[in-house]
Amino acid sequence: METVIDSHNISKVYEETAIPVHAVSEIHLHLERGEFTALVGPSGSGKTTLLNLIGGLDRPTTGYVEIGGVNITKLKDNQLIDFRLNNIGFIFQSYNLIPVLTASENIEFIMLLQGRSKSERETRVHELLRQVGIEDKHDVRPAQLSGGQQQRVAVARALASKPRFMLADEPTANLDSVAAGNLLDIMAKLNREENMTFIFSTHDARVIDRARRVITLQDGRVISDERYAQK
Amino acid sequence: MLGKIAWRNVWRRRGRSIVIICSVAIGLWAGLFVTSFYFGFAEERIRSAIEMEISHVQLHHPEFKKERDVRFTIPRTGELLKWLSTNPYVQHVSGRLTGRGMIASASGNSGIQINGVTPRDEDTLTKLASKLVEGKYFPGTRNNEILIGKKLSQKLKVKVGSKLVLTMQDKAGSIASGAFKVVGVFATKNTPYDEMNVFAARNDLAIMLGDSLAITEIALLLNSQDSVDAFVRIAKARYPALLVEGWRTVAPEMDLVISVIDQMMYIFMGIVLLAMAFGIVNTMLMAVLERTREIGMLIALGMRRSRVFAMIVLETFFLMLAGTPIGMVLAWATILYFGNHGIDISAFQETLRSFGYSDVIYPKLGLYQYGQVLILVALTAFISALLPARKALKLEPAEAIRK
Ligand SMILES: Nc1ncnc2c1ncn2[C@@H]1O[C@H](COP(=O)(O)OP(=O)(O)OP(=O)(O)O)[C@@H](O)[C@H]1O
Ligand SMILES: [Mg+2]
Repeated sequence: METVIDSHNISKVYEETAIPVHAVSEIHLHLERGEFTALVGPSGSGKTTLLNLIGGLDRPTTGYVEIGGVNITKLKDNQLIDFRLNNIGFIFQSYNLIPVLTASENIEFIMLLQGRSKSERETRVHELLRQVGIEDKHDVRPAQLSGGQQQRVAVARALASKPRFMLADEPTANLDSVAAGNLLDIMAKLNREENMTFIFSTHDARVIDRARRVITLQDGRVISDERYAQK
Repeated sequence: MLGKIAWRNVWRRRGRSIVIICSVAIGLWAGLFVTSFYFGFAEERIRSAIEMEISHVQLHHPEFKKERDVRFTIPRTGELLKWLSTNPYVQHVSGRLTGRGMIASASGNSGIQINGVTPRDEDTLTKLASKLVEGKYFPGTRNNEILIGKKLSQKLKVKVGSKLVLTMQDKAGSIASGAFKVVGVFATKNTPYDEMNVFAARNDLAIMLGDSLAITEIALLLNSQDSVDAFVRIAKARYPALLVEGWRTVAPEMDLVISVIDQMMYIFMGIVLLAMAFGIVNTMLMAVLERTREIGMLIALGMRRSRVFAMIVLETFFLMLAGTPIGMVLAWATILYFGNHGIDISAFQETLRSFGYSDVIYPKLGLYQYGQVLILVALTAFISALLPARKALKLEPAEAIRK
């Protein structure tokens, strides 16, 4: 087994407010390669905060996060940005894509940041669009895509950088149930066929059903962590 | 791809960008045109000063200019004039007997510069005959004919046919005077010049001063203004005892006119660009604010802050430079048109003439000035980009995405 994410006793306290908010408290999280994990819990329970911490978008107040054995909490700003670029695939809830770029340009963009060659970029963009099933929309800008199609482009873009794991904060929140189901199918397939590691937060019971591990947060603490057999 | 994103971002708020592009275009148009107008002004002033007053090159006895004293004549003028008239650089030559003196009429007198000239030579050099508004150009029907400026004629209350008395110091330092008759009145574009100068035949003056060969000043027009330096070098080497000066040395104030206009251009364009800069900073700050989430997302995905900075700087450049060619082409076309047709400013004639300016201005702007303005525009774009770009690069991805 290969450890992908290891968080050591991380806490996040927001001190800007009159009463400090303990958004995340003393969380030990251990994710192995190939896991398909849902992060659930009521609104304000700390899901986004925790994902931001393990995704290197924010720094914990105490504790540290290791990704693939690298302590990312210690990295300098530019190192952290480069680390995210090369190790983590992000899928956000909305406004995922660069509106002035077409679907294929959005996917290519991340590989350009990585400095990949033109020929590699072109073949990969093609393959990724096919994998998420929207080859016909390659030349269309995000505003002309449905919510579900936009999220599929986001998945393709996240994959493009060949990340160690994929991190998604409520990826289906703005989708209807059919589109949400399709997106989960794509994610599950990637998990199954390429052993891609996923961690995503969600409120949606049908999405939770598809997860093989469900971590429940409440008031910034893990209150349950359950694994299910392959569904 | 950063360039592509920046360029497309310019067009996301089409209306807003078009307003900026138009204001850049109009600002540059107006700024360049006004500048060209002033350059045309200066050019015209210099051209007419060269034509009428200073010529391209002047030769004097080295002591002459201190007092404009007729004692300091140019030696061996015969050989000198021969060399000048056969020199390939030289187009026209006029030898003068000039000096300070007094002029008196029945109703007053005035200190003036007396120019004793060979009528034909002077006319080919300065086209003096064409400046006459009354009378004839040295008809030669009698001795002691004199041409006076219009302003002076008004001051002395004389007209064609009036008698005047000229008084000068001769070589020995004693006073010489003679009676002259006004045969013509001239008016140049420069009123003070007209008040200060009279023209008589050199021979008449020489007789009055008792030195028939005396020449104190030789003025030259060369085949081109660009040959001045080369010619001055050659003439100095050949006649080291003479003072040989190009027009810039004769009239250093002419160079000053150019450098003042140059500075005015910077100040004027600076003001125009400053006004534009405010509009651009404002627009770009709004753009960054509107795109907080998007920029946060880019940093989250792995775009370095330096690239975010570059992206915003590029966008600002595109926004500003989109209007630049339009403004420059408009300015170029306008300047070309008025450069050929001239702008008649005779409504302000009186005031301008007293400064020595003519009443039709031909706007003019060199490639060099367009280049300078382009650099100023680029500099303005860069400076305007700094604040918005800084705002963008300071965004924290986690917070920006939550917004
Ligand atoms: N920048 C911040 N400053 C202060 N408090 C914050 C900040 N960000 C989040 N919080 C607080 O931290 C707590 C956890 O927020 P978080 O967004 O992680 O919850 P969540 O589980 O993602 O909620 P939701 O399901 O609504 O997305 C909340 O009480 C929230 O108000
Ligand atoms: Mg959340």
